[in-house]
Amino acid sequence: MILLSEYIAAIDGVNITPVMDAAKIELSSGYVCDMLSDVMGSAKSGQAWITIMKHLNVIAVASMTGIPVIIFAKSSNPDQAVIDKAVEEEICLVQSSKTAFELSGILYQMLN
Amino acid sequence: MSPVALMQRVQDLKIDWIAITDHNSMANCPAYEKVAGDFGIAFTWGVEIQTAEEIHLLAYFDDHSQAQEFDKLLYSSLLPLQNDADFFGDQVVIDENENIIKLEERALINSSIWGVDEAVDMIRNHDGYCMPAHIDATANSIISQLGFIPNPEMFDAFGITAKCNVEAYKQQVPYLETNSLIRSSDAHYLADMGSGWTKFYVEKPVMEEIMLTVSGTNGRLISI
Repeated sequence: MILLSEYIAAIDGVNITPVMDAAKIELSSGYVCDMLSDVMGSAKSGQAWITIMKHLNVIAVASMTGIPVIIFAKSSNPDQAVIDKAVEEEICLVQSSKTAFELSGILYQMLN
Repeated sequence: MSPVALMQRVQDLKIDWIAITDHNSMANCPAYEKVAGDFGIAFTWGVEIQTAEEIHLLAYFDDHSQAQEFDKLLYSSLLPLQNDADFFGDQVVIDENENIIKLEERALINSSIWGVDEAVDMIRNHDGYCMPAHIDATANSIISQLGFIPNPEMFDAFGITAKCNVEAYKQQVPYLETNSLIRSSDAHYLADMGSGWTKFYVEKPVMEEIMLTVSGTNGRLISI
């Protein structure tokens, strides 16, 4: 287990939902995919979801699967409506300029 | 597919009305429309937009000047990548006599920067009609990309594949009206033509009438 705040520091990430306290979110694993139909069926709670998909449906899928945080790779930039919905659903959103490959590698190393 | 060979096949199959929906471009609609006219086949201008989420979204237009305006905006929204002709083939624009009038260099296989919501707005602003393509497919469908259809009411209808078992599929999408499902062949080759089709009972072959079949207005009918 690691804290989301530690991971954000390691990836030069920005918490774009600052009302969500990253120091209180624990990560046990990660999931990397942009197809939401797949994420819905396979992602699990406690995982950081790394994606470039920024459609509003990401929040519903995170909420359904119990994902506490979505990491937007390559500076993928969701609309304000997505950020507002995330706050409402208590899901943290983080943005990083790194690629999904780099983001997964760093998370994997920190967890193992 | 050459327009003459295509329309000959459409005529042989006794299909009365077709649309072509090339990937991210309507540049070939004028030539195909002329040849369709020669064969007495009704023709609708269409395009399959690949949105930023890699959803395939079909747009159809009754108004051709609006369609051309839309096509320009769509073109400028495509990611500026060169087509790899060795891999994807040449992207040609032809006239009705199959003369090549333009070689398109920008990769039409790629996505638009428009998200699906923005693409729908752009279609609506140009008096177009829109439906997500092959919603029962496992790739590039609104359901594969977004997990579920966020707001079905934003679309006019929903495209299904030639082989979709509607009875079984309806269990997965109980919130969609059967009347709003339109089956098509999505034919990329002559051999696939006619593999999927929809019957419309309408006053004339225009998209506006298809929308009346979806709502069952004034005796219009649709069956798949």
